[in-house]
Amino acid sequence: MKKKVLALVCSAVMLFGLTACGKEAETVTDTTAPAQESKPAIDISAAKLMSDGVLNVGCEVGYPPFEDFAEDGTTPKGYDVDIITAVADKLGLKVNIINTAWDGIFAGIGVNYDVVCSAVTITPERMETMIFSTPYINNYQAVVLLADDPKEVKSFNDLDGMSIALQKETTSDILMSDYKSTGTIDIQIVANEKVTSCFTQLQNGEVDAVVVDSTVADGYINSSKDFKIVYEDQSEPEQFGIAMAPENTALQAAVNQALKELEEEGFIKETYDYWFGAAAE
Amino acid sequence: MKKSEMKKHSGQIITAIVIIVICIILGLLKPGRETLLSMTSPEMQKMIDADASSTRKRVTVTYNSLFIINYASLSTSGANVMSERYVGFLGKVYQADEGVMKVVGQMVNYTYRMLGVGENLMHGAKLTITLTTLTVLFGVLLGTLLALGKISKKKILSKLSGAYIFFFRGTPLLIQIFVVYFTVPGIFGFAWRDLFNVNDAEAVYKGAFIAALIAFALNSGAYCAEIVRSAIQSIDKGQFEAAKALGMSYGQTMTRIIIPQSIRRMIPNVSNEFIMVLKDASLVFAISLMDITTVSKNIMTSEGSYLVFIPALVIYLVITAFFGFIFDKIEKKFSVYE
Amino acid sequence: MSDQYEYILKTEHVSKRFGTLEVLKDINLSVKKGEVICIIGPSGAGKSTFLRSLNQLEKITSGKIFIRDELFLHRENDHTVDKLPREKQQELLLEMGMVFQRFNLFPHKTVLQNVCEAPIIVKKEKKEDVEKRAKELLDRVGLSEKADEYPSRLSGGQQQRVAIARALAMNPEIMLFDEPTSALDPELVGDVLKVMKELAESGMTMLCVTHEMGFAREVADRVLFMADGIIAEEGTPEEIFTSPKAERTKNFLNAVLEA
Repeated sequence: MKKKVLALVCSAVMLFGLTACGKEAETVTDTTAPAQESKPAIDISAAKLMSDGVLNVGCEVGYPPFEDFAEDGTTPKGYDVDIITAVADKLGLKVNIINTAWDGIFAGIGVNYDVVCSAVTITPERMETMIFSTPYINNYQAVVLLADDPKEVKSFNDLDGMSIALQKETTSDILMSDYKSTGTIDIQIVANEKVTSCFTQLQNGEVDAVVVDSTVADGYINSSKDFKIVYEDQSEPEQFGIAMAPENTALQAAVNQALKELEEEGFIKETYDYWFGAAAE
Repeated sequence: MKKSEMKKHSGQIITAIVIIVICIILGLLKPGRETLLSMTSPEMQKMIDADASSTRKRVTVTYNSLFIINYASLSTSGANVMSERYVGFLGKVYQADEGVMKVVGQMVNYTYRMLGVGENLMHGAKLTITLTTLTVLFGVLLGTLLALGKISKKKILSKLSGAYIFFFRGTPLLIQIFVVYFTVPGIFGFAWRDLFNVNDAEAVYKGAFIAALIAFALNSGAYCAEIVRSAIQSIDKGQFEAAKALGMSYGQTMTRIIIPQSIRRMIPNVSNEFIMVLKDASLVFAISLMDITTVSKNIMTSEGSYLVFIPALVIYLVITAFFGFIFDKIEKKFSVYE
Repeated sequence: MSDQYEYILKTEHVSKRFGTLEVLKDINLSVKKGEVICIIGPSGAGKSTFLRSLNQLEKITSGKIFIRDELFLHRENDHTVDKLPREKQQELLLEMGMVFQRFNLFPHKTVLQNVCEAPIIVKKEKKEDVEKRAKELLDRVGLSEKADEYPSRLSGGQQQRVAIARALAMNPEIMLFDEPTSALDPELVGDVLKVMKELAESGMTMLCVTHEMGFAREVADRVLFMADGIIAEEGTPEEIFTSPKAERTKNFLNAVLEA
């Protein structure tokens, strides 16, 4: 109900406030004018934003190393956070990260925040209801076991008969559910709200394996000796993109431009190495 | 008075029989699984045939049967997504890819999944009902012990019971579930699924269920303790005196005189506790179990269908009504003497 | 069990305080087997408290209680100085049956179950034997046809007669009655008194706290008049009712008999 009201208010603002929006955009260009000599900000005058000068980002904070809270418990940190902050910077905007539950995170685009940058895989289904930036990282599905587990896993088919922990409604979940429902393999799917729960279950011995994004797996292997990656499915690579409302193509163009510049500047590779370790590439 | 009561009862029984008979007839008339799946399009059939020799199968075949109506769907994953859906009812098969039949098909599928028909005991409505019933059962037993402890003249017992109740009522159930499932095994180096046979594929769910049941029962025990205590203290003091004058021990007085009389007084509150637990059961999502609420939320996220919440409400209401009826019967049984 | 005792029940210097309120002051009483004693007096005199102290529903502050000449309990200043071992105490307590003002039947049990409960679970007697005796007792109090009813279906008088049968089922040597007719409608009092009278005639030792002066006069061997926690006067019914000596007794009897 609340969401609906919010949505109504927002669309009203969008409809009747277009002129105002344009005006604000002008002021933005004005303020950044002095910096123009060194680095011109990307023009976002045509993009629709929820608030002026701020990029509101929906993010499920709790998916390290993509997004996680720092020791203080309130400051988000991680690969996604660095990327989206750099992108916003290019657009001359401040970043406001809004911590959101993964369930229903996409429903909030254009309602509670402008974009979702939260390790979102670009899929054909999702492209029916939203638009994506160009991919900013490649990802595979990886199988993680306890470090001392002698089992050999050379493909997902080798998971037959195991209990698999994974995060609910993620690519891992969709993929494993598909393997199970088509009868390819018989597995027990243990779906969790948080990816951290999956690793605790593996550590306690409740489950046999965790299937998770390779990037996340890399992060865990880097920080703990208890786990090992035994298989990465290179055949079905996934790409992560920043999700936006379908009508917000102007924002999409601006974000793509920013990502392109960041790629050229070497910022993306640098950030990747920082969060996932150079070895993980 | 009695005659009209009998009339009312026989009316209810006749209605029930008529409904059951109609359901059986409708059930017999619905097309079978083979009929539904034989509707497959040639393209889909090709995919199915290809799957037979493939290590990575692509077609998901779903078949849901709900007494009088059934639903089948075939869908593929991958780049070229195809799906076909059928609903079977009264001897006919309907295409359910769009329009009213699509909604009907969805409803059958959602209800089936929320009831957890094809699944083990730790899924959907089955989980909700088993967990809730066992929780309240153990909760009342534990609550009775705690209540006796709390009103005991032995200071230590009374203090310990008081501390227990304070602890479990003063901390959130969700955290208690986390502690039982994650923290305790982590500290003591065991896994809940170790309780079951290594070859039991469902051990992981059963283990989680046991952990959930322990957390729920420990929590409910604290709430039931207060219910039992107030019921016991509402019994006339004269009953204690009469029992004592007849030479009964404290234990005999409690088990034979006081507790049987307090049961009737606790039923309404236990019934409330039951409904609370029924709703709280959705907290099992935290340890990878899926009750009705969790299943419906999952369907909402994965299929984006808000319709799912309608059968969810109906299922909850049916459960509440059924157990309300049971509690009513128990209360009547324990108040024959009034 | 030896029957060689002088007094079935005896108290020496029994006192009871509730906080600062002294309810019983130095009560001395000796009861011989077969005696029927009625305790009368204004309300608040301590009659019920005295009766309840005898079977341990109240703990006395100080004094001695003897049962069958054995020192059952000796307390001083709210501390137990001496007492019988627990099992022996329990055994002797079973020799005292009690009937309450408000009957206190077990509402969730039938009349027959009420009577049978204690002999079966406390004395571990055989169910068949107890039921046979219970039916005889119910017959004696005139309620054999109510055996399978619940107490709530019975009148107050009937309930009190069941309560008497329940106490008798334990085969006590002495019966304590705590104002057994005070909670009854006047027309129901007669039946209960009739049962009590028959009981007295059968040789039962009885201690009755009562307001039924007619009953006391007719049935009692001895009448105690209690006021302000002491036994103010004691004597045969004849002495108390026709020529009371104490001023208080006179006033009380005048007030009661006028009404």
